[in-house]
Amino acid sequence: MAAYTTPVQVLIDELGRLPGIGPKSAQRIAFHLLKVPADDVARLAHALTEAKAKVRFCARCWNIADDELCPICADERRDPTTVCVVEEARDIVAIERTGEFRGRYHVLLGAMSPLEGIGPEQLKVKELFARIEPEGITEVILCTNPNTEGEVTAMYLARMLQPFGVRITRIASGLPVGGDLEYADELTLGRALEGRRDLSA
Amino acid sequence: MTNPLYRDTAVVLRTYKLGEADRIVVLLTEHHGKVRAVAKGVRKTMSKFGARLEPLSHVRLLMYQGRELDIVSQAESVDTLAPLVSDLDHLTNGLALVEAVDQMALDREPAPHLYRMLVGALRTVAERSGPLVVPAFYWKLLASEGVRPELDECVRCGAEDPLVAFDVAEGGVLCRSCRSGASLSPDALAVMRMILGGRLNEALDLPASPITHEVAAHANRALEHHLERRLRTVAMFESH
Repeated sequence: MAAYTTPVQVLIDELGRLPGIGPKSAQRIAFHLLKVPADDVARLAHALTEAKAKVRFCARCWNIADDELCPICADERRDPTTVCVVEEARDIVAIERTGEFRGRYHVLLGAMSPLEGIGPEQLKVKELFARIEPEGITEVILCTNPNTEGEVTAMYLARMLQPFGVRITRIASGLPVGGDLEYADELTLGRALEGRRDLSA
Repeated sequence: MTNPLYRDTAVVLRTYKLGEADRIVVLLTEHHGKVRAVAKGVRKTMSKFGARLEPLSHVRLLMYQGRELDIVSQAESVDTLAPLVSDLDHLTNGLALVEAVDQMALDREPAPHLYRMLVGALRTVAERSGPLVVPAFYWKLLASEGVRPELDECVRCGAEDPLVAFDVAEGGVLCRSCRSGASLSPDALAVMRMILGGRLNEALDLPASPITHEVAAHANRALEHHLERRLRTVAMFESH
């Protein structure tokens, strides 16, 4: 049922391999690309190859970087004694947006998942332990996702970090701002109660 | 089918990410067997489901029957998840249980017995973390599937003493002259008889020792033999 000439079909097939893009979306994008000026397409192609060629992992924290170190690790003003452990580089962006954290990061590149057989060996766990002493780290903030995989990872890391004698903290779970209490699940609400704050002081 | 909406209680066995913010949840329901369903928007922070559809959750559900996948419409907790997910040992034990049940249960094949066993076992896991919680469940699971191991006499010649080996392919213990499979110590045999002979609580109270370790190893091998695949949770935590 090859209705298109080969180059178009190849383009559609390649686009269809991208996440979240089905055959119909691939077709629509392909035809859009055929319609726009050649310059636009060249710019897109350049952006793709350029990103792939230049981007690599930060040698220290496994964030994506375009140099030996990522911009955060290279920034001298950031506090080197606090490290925030996250699953993906995307999570760094989310935390940076809060403007609340001035330390460094460590990206695990995933989370432990016993059901899928993903263990600590497949993650950048050893690399985290290797950073503790040389960098004089005094606090590790476990900032993995608050789902089963993230919790397993956090609890496992907390156990393994015990001998290092650093302060180990876990980000709090609670209610999203703007949400209704009525719809909160028991686990979240329970944790929100557990981590309540004093307002009387 | 006239009404596509149905109610059931279920345990979440595992979840898969779907698209941007959805998840596929694999459920063992009380009346509809193993069901795969889509939970829309669960990965968003403001989701109405929140933590209720994480693995190991015991929930009352309102579901919409679809062709391949059902859709979770509402979910309400039955048992609180907190004691299971707040301790690494409880959590890994719980995951080991649901992994085995996920392999054992059949799609849309009602298995109320399996459901009740799992709910009971998860409540046990939430309260205690002895070394035999998971192995004992594996033995019970095998027994309920009709492959209860023979522990009283040699499976080949019927001799009652001395029983020195356990062979998963033969389905039971063997005497010295017929021996095959893995060797079995008398203490481990006694514990296995305890588990399958109605003295489960006594067995669960045993502290970790080479004996409990041996019983656990036999249980894992037997279940893996029956399922014809490796158990990932077990393999992962054996190495630590």
